[in-house]
Amino acid sequence: MENCFEIENLNLYYGEKQALKNLNLSIRKNCVTALIGPSGCGKSTFLRCLNRMNDLIEGCRIEGKIMIQGVDIYDPKTNVVDLRTKVGMVFQRPNPFPMSIFENVAYGPRCQGIKDRRILKEIVENSLKQAALYEEVHDRLHESAMGLSGGQQQRLCIARAIAMEPEVILMDEPTSALDPIATSKIEELIEELKKSYSIIIVTHSMQQASRVSDDTAFFLLGEIVEMDTTRMIFNQPKDKRTEDYITGRFG
Amino acid sequence: MNVTKKQQRQRTLKDAFLNGLTAFSSMLSVLVLTILLGYVFSKGIGLVNVDLLRNQYWSKSAIVAVEEGTQSGTFERPEDLPKEAVWSEKWGIALIDAVSHEKQALVLVERVDENSVFAATVDTSAGPNQGKSYPVVPGLQVQKIDFTDQQGNANFTGMLASETAEEMVHALDQAVSIRSVFIKTPGGGIRGSLIATLYLIFVSLLFALPIGVASAVYLNEIAKKNRFNGLIRSGIETLTGVPSIVYGLMGVSVLFPITAAFGATTTNILLGSLTLAIILLPTIIRSTEEALLVVPQSLRDASLSLGASETQTIFKITLPCAIPGILTGVLLSIGRIIGESAALIYTMGTFINDSPSLLSQGTSLAVHIWSVMSGEQPNFELACAISILILVFVLILNLTVKLISRRLNKAWY
Amino acid sequence: METSLRHQRNAEKLKRKMRIDKAFKYLFFLAALLSGSCILLIVLFILIKGIQPFLPGYRYGQMDLLQFLFGTMWRQDQAVYGVGYIVINTLISAFGALLLSFPISVLTALFIAKIAPRKLSAMLSTVVELLASIPSVVYGVFAAGMIVKLVKWLASLWGISTAGGSSLLAVILLLAIMIFPTITSMAVTAIQAVDHELELGSLALGATKTQTNFKVVLKSAKSGIFAGAILGLGRAFGEATAVSMVAGNKLFGPTFDLFDITRTLTSTMLAGLKETTGLDYDIRFSVGIVLMAVILVSNLILNAVKEKVGNHG
Repeated sequence: MENCFEIENLNLYYGEKQALKNLNLSIRKNCVTALIGPSGCGKSTFLRCLNRMNDLIEGCRIEGKIMIQGVDIYDPKTNVVDLRTKVGMVFQRPNPFPMSIFENVAYGPRCQGIKDRRILKEIVENSLKQAALYEEVHDRLHESAMGLSGGQQQRLCIARAIAMEPEVILMDEPTSALDPIATSKIEELIEELKKSYSIIIVTHSMQQASRVSDDTAFFLLGEIVEMDTTRMIFNQPKDKRTEDYITGRFG
Repeated sequence: MNVTKKQQRQRTLKDAFLNGLTAFSSMLSVLVLTILLGYVFSKGIGLVNVDLLRNQYWSKSAIVAVEEGTQSGTFERPEDLPKEAVWSEKWGIALIDAVSHEKQALVLVERVDENSVFAATVDTSAGPNQGKSYPVVPGLQVQKIDFTDQQGNANFTGMLASETAEEMVHALDQAVSIRSVFIKTPGGGIRGSLIATLYLIFVSLLFALPIGVASAVYLNEIAKKNRFNGLIRSGIETLTGVPSIVYGLMGVSVLFPITAAFGATTTNILLGSLTLAIILLPTIIRSTEEALLVVPQSLRDASLSLGASETQTIFKITLPCAIPGILTGVLLSIGRIIGESAALIYTMGTFINDSPSLLSQGTSLAVHIWSVMSGEQPNFELACAISILILVFVLILNLTVKLISRRLNKAWY
Repeated sequence: METSLRHQRNAEKLKRKMRIDKAFKYLFFLAALLSGSCILLIVLFILIKGIQPFLPGYRYGQMDLLQFLFGTMWRQDQAVYGVGYIVINTLISAFGALLLSFPISVLTALFIAKIAPRKLSAMLSTVVELLASIPSVVYGVFAAGMIVKLVKWLASLWGISTAGGSSLLAVILLLAIMIFPTITSMAVTAIQAVDHELELGSLALGATKTQTNFKVVLKSAKSGIFAGAILGLGRAFGEATAVSMVAGNKLFGPTFDLFDITRTLTSTMLAGLKETTGLDYDIRFSVGIVLMAVILVSNLILNAVKEKVGNHG
């Protein structure tokens, strides 16, 4: 099976403090990879490395290689704006723009210079359908996105990411701000989306990781303790710390 | 610790005294505001009317001649004419006594019958309008009327002979034919200064708004935290403490060459606007920055993660979210423009110009006040009337800013 | 899929987008650089222009710098320009205004922030804001119409005659009113920022509410209140239009008599501006330098004092 990301010797420092220590892993294409671990273990930081959102943080320094389609994303020649069109992201809290639903989804394509109203309309409809939101909002596409419920907003954010047709979608605890019903809807959606996209999801919930993911990586103190298929991690963890964590002894 | 009754009473007394002192101090400020407003309004309100806004400041004189042939008739006194007005049945004109704000007696035209000779007069003063129709209309001051009396002698009546309206009409009734009228347009208006103030507002914001907003965007969205950007920031902050008169000096020394390149030969309104633009920069930068700070970072992240460039994020997400804050800055700036005087006295001069243009001298409302106050005979009434306008305007601006900032605080999650 | 975004992406578009991005970032930087360097331009140009009368080869005849700085007479008709006494006058009027305004402002701020019931406090805050928003020229009209009358009346009680009421006292009263809102609003902010725990601590020790306000709250807010005073003083130094309406223009000095006319740096810069050229115009830039120097030096001294006071509290 193909890999979408190859990470070699990745180190990340905030000023003097080292937040990620010598990570080596590969992430499979068209799979859901879950990143688990206690708070502050570096899993979100790692996720934000994958589309270079850490660039925005002052004093953040990165060593090592992250290869996507054979190109190092930290190579000076790599264009970060172009990279982010290939690697989409969904954030912890739903963060729709204060515009209409239509404009929210059309935002990315518009930034790519697409002005044709017909094409935009098609992209918006397709994306909303893929995000399983179209049925609920098709009659109010031009109303403000701020009027949607939390779960709907988060699915809108997913639709917004899909509209760019990325290779990978990064999800940073996408359901932590949602109620159980909205959460299960998003999980169903992830199941559906992995047919066309590779998905990397950071989650706090063991159950969620075991439900939705194919692979799981366990982070602790900036290191990857163990990475394997989700079934192996949850049934036969090789490392004692992994076992302690998934059985709820700490974290 | 034992506190005796006496000590306790003393303590209560002392507390009451101190509290009373604070209340008294606060009342002082209320008192000052009341006296100030009371003074300005009582002194100026009499002059605040549409004429003040519409009239020119300098009155213009003209001598208008009556066309030959058309002469007297019998005109009935209109019923709605005020009692104080004196009507001339023979000539169909009503005159009325008035007092200028310089406390001089005036005779004004109150009404002119459409068939009266006065309705068909011609300008005789030298100039481009010579020979053109210039009818005597209500509101004009009548300085003098030349006429031929029953003996065929040339005679005149009017304010130049210190005559009242009553006496003038009486004299006119003796006249056989009217020859010419010396009239003056009413002055003391602030039309020119109003226009100049509008010029100032638009032109200074035209420069200050884009530069200010762009600076705020740079400082808040793009700049890395380093020494150089720190210097830029403290440079802008220092501007706030510079007295406005020093900005005036800067205007005439730094900016005058720029306006001279456009053909200005004296201090001018453009120069005033450019100077104001610099005065406004810190205000606009600060309120824009305050607005940018409350735009949630998550929106910027979302935009960037969708492959938008930083500039696209700024123009499509961050700035639109900051509009209420920028608007606050604009309103505060307008308040500052209206109130500014010292810097403008240096850069625009104090000549009250009735038809200001960008490259001519002129006065804003505030400088107009300075101009009428700094002469030999300070004109308190006019100064207070303009002050009322300024105060009302500033009050409205402040209320709007309050409303906006209340809404601003509610927005964003 | 024709509408697929992957097909719409192309390198040319991306390049253009990045070029625009770079250009705008550059523009934003230029704007900030321009805004930040204004202060340098101001200082530089006024220095160049103001220093000229004291350089050899000056068009209208070189002036003596020492005579200018320490002179006690300002006669434009005789081309005698001494700014020394004017500096003293400026200091007297500004510090006089501060002396008058400071206690009233602090007490008012305490009343607004801690003592007054909520509605009254909101009303008073509005009064302070209104006073702050009144333009200086309106204060000038008020001073020329009302304050001078008050001064005249006061003087007549002592049997002193004044120049129509224009006097040092009128300037001080006017400036005190004008800096009152600045100091008050800063003091209110400082008082409101005082840690509530401190107050509770004092109250728990049996101090009354009033004792707490005066002994604990004011003391903790000291640094902020002091900053307000410095800001107010700066405003008093720089105030021009209103002051020149009531200062009178004394030709020599310094003026220590409250009922005598005076002359401040700013009123000197504005006086007779309408019909002046040559040396008399250029010398105003020199006065401008002196004004900026006075503000700078007093700010430095007061900030040093503030540090010291702050450290002990």
